[in-house]
Amino acid sequence: MPRFPSFRNGRFVLNLLQMKKYNSQALLEQLQADIRQLVLIANKLKSEDPGVLLEQPAPGKWNVVQVLEHLNSYGRYYIPAIEKSLQEIKPATEMFKPGFIGDYFTKMLSPSEKGTVKYKMKAPKDHRPSPHLDHQPVLKTFLEQQQALLELLEKAKTKNIGRIRTPITLSRFIKLKLGDTFRFLIAHEQRHFIQISNTMAQVKKTGTFSLAL
Amino acid sequence: MADIDQLRQFITTAFALKGEELEQLLNIWQPFECKRKTILTTAGETERYLYFVLEGVQRGFYIGDDKKEATIVFMYAPSFSGIADSFLTQTPSNYFLESLTSCRFLRTTWKQIDELMGHYPEIRKMVLVLTSFILKGLLQRQVELQCFSAEEKFKTLLHRSPHLLQLIPHKYLASYLGIDPATFSKLLGSVRLS
Repeated sequence: MPRFPSFRNGRFVLNLLQMKKYNSQALLEQLQADIRQLVLIANKLKSEDPGVLLEQPAPGKWNVVQVLEHLNSYGRYYIPAIEKSLQEIKPATEMFKPGFIGDYFTKMLSPSEKGTVKYKMKAPKDHRPSPHLDHQPVLKTFLEQQQALLELLEKAKTKNIGRIRTPITLSRFIKLKLGDTFRFLIAHEQRHFIQISNTMAQVKKTGTFSLAL
Repeated sequence: MADIDQLRQFITTAFALKGEELEQLLNIWQPFECKRKTILTTAGETERYLYFVLEGVQRGFYIGDDKKEATIVFMYAPSFSGIADSFLTQTPSNYFLESLTSCRFLRTTWKQIDELMGHYPEIRKMVLVLTSFILKGLLQRQVELQCFSAEEKFKTLLHRSPHLLQLIPHKYLASYLGIDPATFSKLLGSVRLS
C-alpha cells in the first residue's frame, strides 16, 4: 500500500477539506455491494486457465494470483483486528464522519470514476507475495475473506463505526475509525482488481479484458 | 397505491390472511433501493433478506468452474425476490442475485419472518403455501427444460411472460431457456405469436 504522495500536493489538500459525512447504514450497504462485485469477478477468475492467472504480465510485475495473495495478506491482519474491535459495546449512530487520516488513505487508494488507478504505490516488504503460488487455495482464501468481511460489515450495522477504532498495519499507534478501516480496505481491493483486469488483458493480449458482465 | 398496500394486495390475493396476522406481517418491511447491476447476494453468502419487488427486474444466476454461467430465475414486480432456497434453509447460496435495472423493494429479514412463523400458525401456513407454488413452478420448468424443443421453450416463455422480451437482455433469456443466444435471435425473427 504505502508511499503516499506528500501532503504538499495541492489537489490532495483540497480533497481533504471536502470530507463528506455518510449515513452509516447506507455506507455499510454500499461497501457490501462493492465487495459482492469483487466476489462475482473472483468467481469468474476461478474458471480461467491457471496458466493465465500465473503468467507475469511483464518483468517485475505481479501475476493475478500474486495480486490476490497480496490482498489476502491484508485480510489476514484486518479481519481478526476488525472482529476484535467489534466486540466493543458502542451502539450505532445515524451519521458517520470520516477521520482525517482514514479519509486521506481511502481517497489515495480509491480508483477514479473512470476506473483507473490514480497513484502508483509500492507494496511494503511483508505484503509482497511469491510468484510461485497455487492458484486454487489463494482464490479460496480470497473468497472466504470476502464472506467474512460481508459478515463483519453486517455486524458493524449495529455498532458505532465512528467511535470504534482499529489499528492499521503500518503502525499499531495509528488507529482508524472502523468506518474508515472498511472504506480503505475495500478501496484497496478495488484498486487491485483494476490491476487484475489490466493484467488479464496483457497476458491474454486482448487489449481489454472486461471483468464486468 | 402506497408501497405497503401493493404488498398487502399481493399477499391477500395469494392467501387469505387477515386481522392481527396480516398487520403483523405487514409490519416487518423496510424500503430498500439499488442501482442497476448491483449484486444483492453472492454465492457463498447466506440470504438474509426476503424482498418484495415494487419496481425493476433481478436475475438469479449460477457460475460454474468451467466458464459456464446460467441464469436460473428472473424476478419482477409485483412478486417476492431473493435466493429462496438459501433464505428458507439459512445455508450458503449457490447463486448470485443481481439487479438488471434500478430497483425498489420492500424487504425483511429471515429473523423477522422466522419469529412470525413461530407465533402465528396462519403465517407458517402461508409460507408453506407460497413455497409449495414455487415448487410447483420449478417442477414444471424442469419438464420444459428437459422435454421441450428450443422453439417450444421460446413460445412458452413468450406466452407466459411476453413483457420479459422488452425488460431483459436476450442473452439472459436465452440462458434461462438453456438455448444458444444465436438460436434465440433466430426464433425471435421467425416465430409468430398467436
